Amino acid sequence: MTIHSGLGLLLAGIVALPALPAMATFRAPSSSAASELSTVVARGGGGGSRGGGRGGSSSRGNRGGGGGGARTGFSTAGGGGGLNRGASRPDGGWSSNSRGPRAGGSPSLDRRPGTGSGGTRGSGATNVGDRNQGNRNLGDRNLSDRNLNQNLNRNVERNWNRTVNINNVNLRPGWARPGWGYARPWNYGWYGGWASPSWGWWGARAAVWGIGALASAAIINEAVDNAINSQQTMFVVPNSNYQLLYGTVQPLGSTGVQFAVNANGNTYELSADCQSGLLNGVQPASAAEAELLNAACQVAFGNS
Amino acid sequence: MSLVPNFMHLRTAPQGMSLKHAPHPELLSVISRSLSCSLGLAFKPLLTAGCVTSVLITAAPVRSAEVVLYKLETQCSQRGGASINCMVEAVNAGASTRYRHHLGKTIETVRISDDPLTMSLWKPESKQWQTLHNASGRFSTNTVCFNDQDLCVINPNYLNSVRQDNPTKLAGRDLVRVHFGSDGRIDASCYDAGCELVKP
Repeated sequence: MTIHSGLGLLLAGIVALPALPAMATFRAPSSSAASELSTVVARGGGGGSRGGGRGGSSSRGNRGGGGGGARTGFSTAGGGGGLNRGASRPDGGWSSNSRGPRAGGSPSLDRRPGTGSGGTRGSGATNVGDRNQGNRNLGDRNLSDRNLNQNLNRNVERNWNRTVNINNVNLRPGWARPGWGYARPWNYGWYGGWASPSWGWWGARAAVWGIGALASAAIINEAVDNAINSQQTMFVVPNSNYQLLYGTVQPLGSTGVQFAVNANGNTYELSADCQSGLLNGVQPASAAEAELLNAACQVAFGNS
Repeated sequence: MSLVPNFMHLRTAPQGMSLKHAPHPELLSVISRSLSCSLGLAFKPLLTAGCVTSVLITAAPVRSAEVVLYKLETQCSQRGGASINCMVEAVNAGASTRYRHHLGKTIETVRISDDPLTMSLWKPESKQWQTLHNASGRFSTNTVCFNDQDLCVINPNYLNSVRQDNPTKLAGRDLVRVHFGSDGRIDASCYDAGCELVKP
């Protein structure tokens, strides 16, 4: 009996022993202060939310899954800590040239206030000079909104016939981030910079609509910056009720752009020709549509 | 004692690690198995089936071990110095990505692998990979730096890829920094103002 009891205890001990390391690894690492600090910091990096389920809906396919696993706080300490090997091709592809006049400054880890869109470009002075025009447009906002509400349904029904499932759209491509202006992997910088666009139809239409100028590059850049900083995937196009999902902006050839926009409770996929000023192949039917066209083109090809 | 020739030393071949210079690790495995079978067949006919498979695998076309992801004309700086023109060649080399920074006649190669994330710098004098102490990325300036500011580069491609792979985790973040322990693995990481807390 004594022998059996002793054997039982021994077996119990053997069974229990392997469980100890497993329990230890399940807890927070406590072997070093660095590990604990890393864990604490990593929790902050995860955004403080463990709710999960966001990744899949934020991007095409399973692209959004990368962030999900790291939000438990502990996993980041052993994971990438926010960086990785950088081998997966981002939307928009790879850029081959980050040099040239627009590149401006040198590599820097210092945050550059007010240059969220351009990062290293240093070309903001010209845009800031355009600001007054933009503010004038914004000052007319109430009037424009009133007109827009009347026109929106008609316009949407007329030409916007392609709705998209927002869950199938990547709203957070790699370039849509701080420094987005410089991060765009395609050719940009040729759009805008004018007092009035060179579109042949612009002058007469603008007179009918009663507006003098489109929102400036600075206004739109700032809207994108603000949206990124507040982790919003859209911004309200100046002088309109449209919400441009700026992360969906993709170039079509050298002068075209494709993007998604929220309007009238739906999400539409539109295209625009930024050189001739066409929206879905036709001239904008309202000032708001012209502003939308301008905003999408600025995000895609403008200076920032 | 194994009769299989040891090819493992070839794995340390660094720059330009293509099939011309060094076999891919998977190819090494196949070669090893094939040679093992050749020697083993004389004694153990039962190994035949497995060996035939190995021979077939060996005979199949083998993809190059390296795939160039992109070449980026950009700007770099070393040890906090002035910006200079440089070219970054990003190469997918199986389990890691190599970033060859061409600065004039000098090439600085950084190797990055995932799971766990490790980063190392090729030291041509010792012909070894040296683990980095830290790496940082600043999205708003599109800058990546290795070992404090020993080597900094404007590389939006890298940051775009990182960002898109972790859209939720990195939302609202601008500065990311990782610190590596002596074992080459991350022992601390931080974001933005949090990096002030983990300064050495």
